[in-house]
Amino acid sequence: MPIKSTSPLSKLLRKSPFKPIQEHMRLVFNCICTLAPLFEALFEKDNEKVLEAAQQIGELESEADQIKNTFRLNMPTTLLLPVDRKDLLGLMADQDRLCDICEEIGKILSYRTMEVPQALKSLIDELLEGTIEVSGEAKRMIEELDELVEVGFGGGKEVEKVNKIIQGVRKSEHNLDAILNRTRKALFAIEAELNPVDVVFWYRIIELVGDISNQAENIGDRLLLFLSR
Amino acid sequence: MDIITSYGTILIALAIIFGLYMTWGIGANDLANAMGTSVGAGAVTVKQAIGIAIVFEFLGAVIAGGHVTATIRKGIIDPTNIIDSPEILVYGMLASLLAAAFWLMIASTRGWPVSTTHSIIGALIGFAIVGIGPEAVKWDKVLKVVASWVISPAIGGTISFLLVISTRKLILNTDNPLKNAKKYAPMYIFMVGFIISLVTLFKGLKHLQIEFTAAESFGVAILFGMLTSGIGWYFVRNIREDINGDREFHYTSVEKVFTPMMLFTACAMAFAHGSNDVANGIGPLAAVISIVSSGGEVMQKSELPLWILVLGGCGIVLGLVTLGYRVMLTVGKRITELTPSRGFCAELAAATTVVLASRTGLPVSTTHILVGAVLGVGMARGIGALDLRVVGNIILSWLVTLPAGAIMAMLFFFTLKGIFG
Repeated sequence: MPIKSTSPLSKLLRKSPFKPIQEHMRLVFNCICTLAPLFEALFEKDNEKVLEAAQQIGELESEADQIKNTFRLNMPTTLLLPVDRKDLLGLMADQDRLCDICEEIGKILSYRTMEVPQALKSLIDELLEGTIEVSGEAKRMIEELDELVEVGFGGGKEVEKVNKIIQGVRKSEHNLDAILNRTRKALFAIEAELNPVDVVFWYRIIELVGDISNQAENIGDRLLLFLSR
Repeated sequence: MDIITSYGTILIALAIIFGLYMTWGIGANDLANAMGTSVGAGAVTVKQAIGIAIVFEFLGAVIAGGHVTATIRKGIIDPTNIIDSPEILVYGMLASLLAAAFWLMIASTRGWPVSTTHSIIGALIGFAIVGIGPEAVKWDKVLKVVASWVISPAIGGTISFLLVISTRKLILNTDNPLKNAKKYAPMYIFMVGFIISLVTLFKGLKHLQIEFTAAESFGVAILFGMLTSGIGWYFVRNIREDINGDREFHYTSVEKVFTPMMLFTACAMAFAHGSNDVANGIGPLAAVISIVSSGGEVMQKSELPLWILVLGGCGIVLGLVTLGYRVMLTVGKRITELTPSRGFCAELAAATTVVLASRTGLPVSTTHILVGAVLGVGMARGIGALDLRVVGNIILSWLVTLPAGAIMAMLFFFTLKGIFG
């Protein structure tokens, strides 16, 4: 006789939504890290490598997209969650935006053969290093989510730790803003020597890279909301 | 009167068969569900769970199963109007047993969240209405029982909520969670032994000829608590920090302390289940045996014979080892989101609530109380995600089970009446 469990418990206990968020964030971080080889290839004027890196970003992005979609499909309004459902969906959207930014940069660099002005090279390196650092901190923050569930998002050492990471992200983002301004100024100083269309695109790329750290800071703010409920 | 004397043996044999069928079904599904949580949390293996269930289900039934059995046996139906035709009550009890067991089987093949308790109560009411008349149903008592179905999960939820908060204050949100976990584990395990034995033993166990004063009950409960606490201490004393595991998830070591703690709540769950749900199967059986052996005395003044409780325990164990282990395995595989620290709180809360209900003679649903307890953990922001649609399904299952049990009991009643006359 086929006998099934009459226990509603297995339907009551859903898979934790924090796991896919963490998985997604790992992919997002990989995406951002791939910006380094992308720009390196650009510096070396190796078109093939640029395309390769851009393609890798695109693949990571679509993998992350899949996680995002399954996540959203599994978030009915009937769920009892330890945090606000809208904040959780917002967090996923924030993370998703990070991937989109990387993809956008990759696309620009793959359809437009861009030459890196000498004056920008070291600044771009600095910018990327800072961006990867901020994103790494954002990822660390997300990795703490299951621990936060364990302690119920309130009080104690764990929350202190996450608060510290959030402050770290803010600080790094602030520092990065300074680098961004220096880069913009450097670009402005050499504007006249460059092809005007190139200038437009360089400004666009600088803004996009800057958006990454802004977005990372937003993720920190989301987490603060979780902690303050 | 004639029917009882001429068909007595057959009626008793039928009652035993139906009773075993019902308890077998309870063991195959209900008990398996109750134990599945511990299996899912990784606290016990399926084999260990079966061992625990056999021992503690029996103990629960024999030591604390009497009150609920009495409610099912004579608390729901008032037989004053059929004093002269006791066979009606015998048919009714047989029909109710069969109806509840049958409905349970249908639910089991479909995976509906149906409770054995609700099935048997629905069946008893259904028989009483057509067999004797609506006035034969003790509606005030039925109302109390139905109210307890709503209140008991809420109580379970409240207790587990408070337990989760306490584990945070004392263990998880402290500077050294592992140290504190090992420090407080014996205290929590003490609570398991103390609460369950206090509720069970309070003012003694008449059917086992054990008499206690209130103070004596406390004393014995404290002794029991200390005994379990000592055993618990033995289990957790050697748990060391798991550095690799903690890197992945910082509370891995702490959860390892809760794992052996869940061994005790698994025992408590089996005991609680035995004290409440065995009655669903043996209550009607006890009624039939009492009426037949007294030669047609419907008021059932005789005490519950111990062998009936033992028989019920046997039926449940039989159900567990024939089919229940498979159910336990699937439940255990699906319920993995409940970590040992949460599972401990939920199970302790559920077991406490069920034993309290057993003591008061209220037939409740162990599974639904466990659902309430898990919701309590969720309210304390302790679980990733709970799907509240299940609550709606449970309420729907009440609304379906009561009339379904009732209608089937009516059909079986008329069939039996037609056969025996």
